[in-house]
Amino acid sequence: MSEEAVMTHLRLDPDNVGEQDAESLLEAIKGDVRYEEVIHGCLNCGVCSGSCPSHRFFDYSPRIVVQTVLSGDAQAVKDMMDEYIWACAQCYTCAMRCPFHNSPGGLVMIMREVAVWRGMEAVHRLLKPYGRVLLKVLSIGNQLTPDMIQPDFFPDWGPKIPWSSTDLAIKRKAIPVYTLQVTTSAWRVSPQTSYELYTIYEETGVFRLIEQIDPNLYEVVSDMVEDLRDTIESSR
Amino acid sequence: MATSPISDKVRTSGWEFITKTVDKRAIMKAAPKDPREELAELEAKGEVKVIHITEENRPIEVETLLGRTKRIPTNKLWHHKSCGQCGNIPGYPTSIMWFMNKLGLEFLDETHQTSCTAWNYHGSGTSNLVALASVAVRNWHRAYETGYFPLIHCGTSFGNYKEMRNLLIEHKDLRDEVRRIMAKVGRELVIPEEIVHYSEWLHVLRHQIAALKIHDLSSIITTVHPACHVWKLVPEDVIYDPNIYGGQRPAPTTAILLALGAQVADYSTWYDCCGFGFRHILTEREFSRSFSLERKIKVMVEEANSDVAITQDTGCTTTLDKNQWIGKAHGYNYELPVMADVQFAALAAGADPYKVVQIQWHTSGWEKLLDKMGVDWRTSKAEYEAYLEELKAGREPEQLYVPPVENLNLH
Ligand code: SF4
Ligand code: SF4
Repeated sequence: MSEEAVMTHLRLDPDNVGEQDAESLLEAIKGDVRYEEVIHGCLNCGVCSGSCPSHRFFDYSPRIVVQTVLSGDAQAVKDMMDEYIWACAQCYTCAMRCPFHNSPGGLVMIMREVAVWRGMEAVHRLLKPYGRVLLKVLSIGNQLTPDMIQPDFFPDWGPKIPWSSTDLAIKRKAIPVYTLQVTTSAWRVSPQTSYELYTIYEETGVFRLIEQIDPNLYEVVSDMVEDLRDTIESSR
Repeated sequence: MATSPISDKVRTSGWEFITKTVDKRAIMKAAPKDPREELAELEAKGEVKVIHITEENRPIEVETLLGRTKRIPTNKLWHHKSCGQCGNIPGYPTSIMWFMNKLGLEFLDETHQTSCTAWNYHGSGTSNLVALASVAVRNWHRAYETGYFPLIHCGTSFGNYKEMRNLLIEHKDLRDEVRRIMAKVGRELVIPEEIVHYSEWLHVLRHQIAALKIHDLSSIITTVHPACHVWKLVPEDVIYDPNIYGGQRPAPTTAILLALGAQVADYSTWYDCCGFGFRHILTEREFSRSFSLERKIKVMVEEANSDVAITQDTGCTTTLDKNQWIGKAHGYNYELPVMADVQFAALAAGADPYKVVQIQWHTSGWEKLLDKMGVDWRTSKAEYEAYLEELKAGREPEQLYVPPVENLNLH
């Protein structure tokens, strides 16, 4: 299969960030290799929305997402990608219950991916609070680390959180598993592992995507990548 | 009177159609192909390598939703840790390892692992199928080269890896792409024979684990929160047992609580998610708080009079535990302890509540529960505080487990 076919079918080209024509967005959604598995038709029965947690709290309905995509109204689909679909909690209760064995949550995931890889406006706003997670996931492949649980970020988690963040290094040392006795990663990640992860991100366009949608974050990450590569390669 | 354009007959048959097919067992009428059979075919053709479950893994057979057999390895396991657990609920993985030591089982916990990266993917979309599959295969291959079988701690990793396994089996172009990337990092495309979650491991060993119990749990009322990504993603792979809710709900977690002699109380929103939402826990916190309180904690307490909410995954434990305190601002004065099944089992079996179960990181009051279970947490707390002082003074930490030197590779 040609590189171009792989791109549209399995992953999007990060250099197409900015290509936001409604028809091409819908084409990208329907061209995803998973599309046929998540949508098999729709009875418009609303069973998915009836059991959807986000439907209870937001102006959001998985039935409407599925119906809109099936209607082929590309502009309406594009409008949804800006804000609407980000209400989904990704719980897949809808998939468990749909009589057509659809996965509206799976469809939403494809739509989110297209929204991000095409750099839609809402993405910058939506990703902002994600900076810390992204930095960790890109640099060491962990998504949450002990030093991220800070009272100023989680004031609503109550009075025990300051305990968790005080003397963190000692409290982590008191966890009786060697790999866990660290604070800036969830477990000790070997440099070789990060090194391999960077190749995966490079080969799958993830680094290039971050460069396009969050240049500041990319700068930090690329410095780390370069340092680690130098260290590993010079030790060979 | 105007007549409806839809006749009553059509309405009735439409409703019948829905009620018949919405039943979760509807999947049985159109059972998807067994990916494991297809995997065996690919292996026979030399298309992929398979990480097999061997005699050394001492597998135990169980039945899944479609009546298919799943083999759960119990020994010689490679810990695929969860970043949310290790980072925020450290007593989760330590309790698993504590039981493995108690049962004399062999395992490997090391530094050459990444998370599945799927929490970030579900929340932000900043990855893609090829990257997720490559991350999965890199971890699987690492387990493969050590000779240990991967045991997945996190529910999202478990769900994601089942999806990745199925997609890799179905799509040759995905396999080719992942194989190309693996070659660049000196690895090969390997796929495990089964994707196994720790709650399944706990489930098949529940009677051996229950035999270690030293506290009477007969007065403890538990409520179970089954984790969405454990049982709603690739649902046909989930363990069901006719003795647990008549085979209508997943068996793991509920079954071990019953084996331990605790009460398991039903509640009407058992199937709802916890409110974690992947991005919501960070960016739509109002939703996470409201949903977890209104649809889970309140119902568990008011309908079931629950003493403790028992979980089987990472994000749920965090969401249900951490969002209770703020509820007081709106008159939700619940204080329901939240912990994973394996932590609860470890407490029942006499594990140190501070040093092993690391209960001190949980924010919703657990003290009354531990008193009711007969666990002396006050002595444990005093010992832990003294231990922290000793560590500050330079003492070497106690270890349940240290990886072999060759698996450290910190350089
Ligand atoms: S996956 Fe999304 S759409 Fe489906 S039930 Fe959950 S929140 Fe609703
Ligand atoms: S449950 Fe399925 S068939 Fe019914 S509205 Fe939702 S997606 Fe359509």
